[in-house]
Amino acid sequence: MKVQEIERVILEKLPDTIFKRDETGKTGSSWSAVVAASGIRDAAKAFETSGFFLEDIMALDFQDTFELVYHFNCYEPGSRVVVRVLFGHDQVPPSICDIFRGAGWLEREVHDFFGISFSGNPDLRPLLLPEDADYHPLRKDFGKVSAYRKREDIYG
Amino acid sequence: MAERQIASPASQKIYSLNLGPQHPSTHGVLRILLDLDGEFIVKADPVIGYGHRGHEKMGENRIYKQFLPNTSRMDYLSGMIFNHGFALAVEKLIGIEVPERAKYIRVIASELNRISSHLLWFGTYLMDLGGFTPFLYAFDDREHILDILDSVSGSRLTYSYCRFGGVCRDVDAAFIDMTRAFLKRMAGRWADYDNLVTKNIIFINRTRDVGIIDRELSRQYGVTGPNLRACGIGYDVRKAEPYEVYDRFDFEVPTGSKGDALDRYDVRFKEMQQSCRIIDQALDHLPGGPYLSKVPQKLVPPKGEVYFAFESARGLTAYYLVSDGSTSPYRCHIRVPSFGNLNVLNEVLPETMVADAISILGSIDVVIPEIDR
Repeated sequence: MKVQEIERVILEKLPDTIFKRDETGKTGSSWSAVVAASGIRDAAKAFETSGFFLEDIMALDFQDTFELVYHFNCYEPGSRVVVRVLFGHDQVPPSICDIFRGAGWLEREVHDFFGISFSGNPDLRPLLLPEDADYHPLRKDFGKVSAYRKREDIYG
Repeated sequence: MAERQIASPASQKIYSLNLGPQHPSTHGVLRILLDLDGEFIVKADPVIGYGHRGHEKMGENRIYKQFLPNTSRMDYLSGMIFNHGFALAVEKLIGIEVPERAKYIRVIASELNRISSHLLWFGTYLMDLGGFTPFLYAFDDREHILDILDSVSGSRLTYSYCRFGGVCRDVDAAFIDMTRAFLKRMAGRWADYDNLVTKNIIFINRTRDVGIIDRELSRQYGVTGPNLRACGIGYDVRKAEPYEVYDRFDFEVPTGSKGDALDRYDVRFKEMQQSCRIIDQALDHLPGGPYLSKVPQKLVPPKGEVYFAFESARGLTAYYLVSDGSTSPYRCHIRVPSFGNLNVLNEVLPETMVADAISILGSIDVVIPEIDR
């Protein structure tokens, strides 16, 4: 199983990774790991060489932090794995668009909606928003917002 | 794939062609900026976002129930499946039990929707390639599905048929009779389509070895669904992570070998037949009992998150809901399959001819409003 294999590789490369296993199966992934922003490239490379594909990149806006959620999957049952990156509102995470070629567009989408720049992504033109858009609709300070919370309010 | 005829062209001039956004073969509002060297594409840059409505932002500002109608407006061709997926995601988040009968009804409705989506693709793709007759046949067949789904959901395209805890209306004997009649009709149809299209030499020449998406390219771009299965990877969420009652049915996952347009056609064509098999089995085993469980009007899920993946007509689709314990989600994200399926065109289109670009675009079966969200 590639899932067990990749867990070992990630632990070897990034020893500080905090793993969280999902016993209930509710989150749809077998485990999630929080890595430092500087470690995401190493993690992505490990996934790439192990035969995983990048399912999605998604961002969350909290009062105290931004969170990027990377979903990796391979073509085996129950192999979805989540890698999370937490970083401050003024920080710039590294891009993985040269590791997974499809990541370029996903990062462009995140940049559209959250204003997160990815260092190393050469093409961050608006993808879904108009060319001249200078706003980031999914940030919690845009338009109608029901709540702006800290990360610990939700994840404890 | 045609080889470049002229080794050194008379003129080195590169032309730019604006394909779309209002072109019949772009199926929605897609614009592709093509750089052309004669008839050959040098660079392709898809421009999307014309249909962006902000579904994710809307999701954050609505209670879960209010977002349900939105879900069938993303991929409007498989609205029922998107609907079904959202209901399942929220049920998983909150822990709602669904009656057995509702599960079967949902599967029947979803698979009918999958066939209707593939039939529309079949018709329009053949029309893109210049064949008008299959279009009329496919739309005739599709009309039957729309009538069946219309009779239970009251809508032809944007169904909103599923509810948290079941479906909004029970199916009656007339529905079952209509569905049985449709299955019988389709059983005789496949041979017609085969004779009309699959063995047609013009069709084969337009699709064989055109727009090859191999395993490595699929993996790099996160291509899923029939486009992935066409290159030989039999990955289907209905088999890999069975949801609802899909593990109780006997069906196959058709795969291709090369990943060219002809393989993609073959996979979808066989998938329709497999969907018919699923519907047939579901009708045989349709249990009695309630079709909707008692669910409170105002849903307040616990804190936490849910990532629910399901197989829509175009591939792996997922809802990612983060709940902060209030009545509306803190974040509502939708992973759509067409996003990766279209992204891959950046690499597939270069070095092909303009006429092939239309064939490739059609064979990938993108629905633009789904990408734009």
